[in-house]
Amino acid sequence: MTSKIIRYVILIAMGILWLLPIYLLLANASKLTSEYSGSNLWAPGNFPALVSNIVDVFTTTDVPSGLFITVIYAVIAPFIAVILGAAVGYAVIALKLKHGFFWFFVIFCGTVFPLQLMVIPLFAAYSQVGLFDTAVGMILIYSVVCLPFSAFVMRNFFAGIAESVFEAAVVDGAKPWRIFTQIYLPMSRSALVVVFILQATWVWNDFLLALILTQSSEIRPVMPMLQALQSVQGGGSAFTVLLTAALLVSIPTALLFGLSQKYFQRGLALGQY
Amino acid sequence: MPARTARQRDAWAFMGPGVAVVLLALYIPVLYTVYLSFTEYDGLGDPTWIGVDNYVEMFHDPAILLSIVNTLAWVLGTLIVPVGLGLLVAYLAYGLRGAAWLRVPFLIPYALSGVAVGVIFSFVLQNGGALSQALAFLNLPGSELRWLQDAPLNTIVMILAASWQGVGVNALLFTVGLQSIPKEPLEAARVDGAGGFRLFASMVWPLLRPTTTIVVGLSIVNSLKTFDIVQSMTQGGPNRVSETLGVTMYRETFLNNEYGMGSAVAIFLTVITVAASLIYLRRQLSLGDAAPKTDAAPKGARRA
Repeated sequence: MTSKIIRYVILIAMGILWLLPIYLLLANASKLTSEYSGSNLWAPGNFPALVSNIVDVFTTTDVPSGLFITVIYAVIAPFIAVILGAAVGYAVIALKLKHGFFWFFVIFCGTVFPLQLMVIPLFAAYSQVGLFDTAVGMILIYSVVCLPFSAFVMRNFFAGIAESVFEAAVVDGAKPWRIFTQIYLPMSRSALVVVFILQATWVWNDFLLALILTQSSEIRPVMPMLQALQSVQGGGSAFTVLLTAALLVSIPTALLFGLSQKYFQRGLALGQY
Repeated sequence: MPARTARQRDAWAFMGPGVAVVLLALYIPVLYTVYLSFTEYDGLGDPTWIGVDNYVEMFHDPAILLSIVNTLAWVLGTLIVPVGLGLLVAYLAYGLRGAAWLRVPFLIPYALSGVAVGVIFSFVLQNGGALSQALAFLNLPGSELRWLQDAPLNTIVMILAASWQGVGVNALLFTVGLQSIPKEPLEAARVDGAGGFRLFASMVWPLLRPTTTIVVGLSIVNSLKTFDIVQSMTQGGPNRVSETLGVTMYRETFLNNEYGMGSAVAIFLTVITVAASLIYLRRQLSLGDAAPKTDAAPKGARRA
């Protein structure tokens, strides 16, 4: 019994400690620039000031266009990756591609190389073929980077579907494409959702590719914009606007994460960080 | 026979696009980076072949050597703090009523991006900022420290910021691992009077081995690639003292226009990362293979 109480005490104390930076973020994003001073950092803010800061972020910074374009990237690219990944898993497991595991392994190894290894040629190639600083270019690269993990999960998931499902459909005269879209994809909805959410979060939070492959404010995702805001406004009173921007760009992933915690848990068990 | 070849053709129709885009967008760039690492190239004109000069120079450049040391500090730091605390949180919360709620404070930071974490901690750690004020208020030493200006203090506090973000996900992974441990041996040990640390050391820790391997492997691989938090908090500065290899590669290539050197740094980083990945890659793939074996067992003849 006492050991249980000690466990609660330790966890709650640590939890409060962990929430302090979040508290500081909220408290200082909720202060008007005029109210903000170095001496009242720990004081709570007020809601009208937060609203005014949000208005400031939307009217004086590039963050709104960044949010808009990032939503597009974070929806379309993971969607493409999930479908392509499911196709890969389907080819290996259901259609029994010859040397399927080898080709699957070739795709899977894409997750092993750090992105740093690819960005220099990608930057050069994108500049050459006119994909640098384009929405299409960003969607393409995000889809490819998300593909290995989704192929990994979907292959594992399809491996759990009984072979007789496929054989029965073939006997009924269904073509592989129909079996894929009418049977395999609907059966694996939960896995598709897990992969989609994890990859959408990854795209949303990406900084490196966004920083290197984009330039203009219409194309640039929101994370490099936030960082640029920091180097311009860091220090002084504009911290309130910067912190509000950090809060705004974090809300979508935090919500997604909170609403789908059990999906995340399942996805994490599969090895994605 | 024809049916089988038709099946193979269909299979390639599904596999082809995935293989094609991965080869085109991931493998070819990798090969080109390998080539660039043996050249001198400023992004204009043509690369000049210089053999291994970049690699030799790399290990004589004090800034890059410091960057390697910092990267190793990141690997060690994120291995000890977030993995250790993640295990602590998972183990303490396991089996408690409301465990899911107790873990929430640790999960919120995980949903944030590296840049957002960087913004928050740059704010907390500014000179005379929230942390310094709190230390002064509590009469603790340290309020006069310049957290982000002085090395190695800046690297240490950035590792702690990354740890703040990383504990939650490790706790989740360890929780999943704990849930998969069979209950009977634990109960038996408890009946025999084992408890607390002894129970953990003799029973739980060995049974958690598979999870620990994955968590440690992921932690090493991810810390080697550290870029976002450092780039957004110190940009590797001041005077390149807090650079990690990820930041060094970015600086050499895109700020100094030393494409060859940037590539060499990227290759060096990759060789270590791939070596570290091998620790957990095998286990990850064997986890994947476990599924068909158990599921196909009743109708296993076909597979075998």
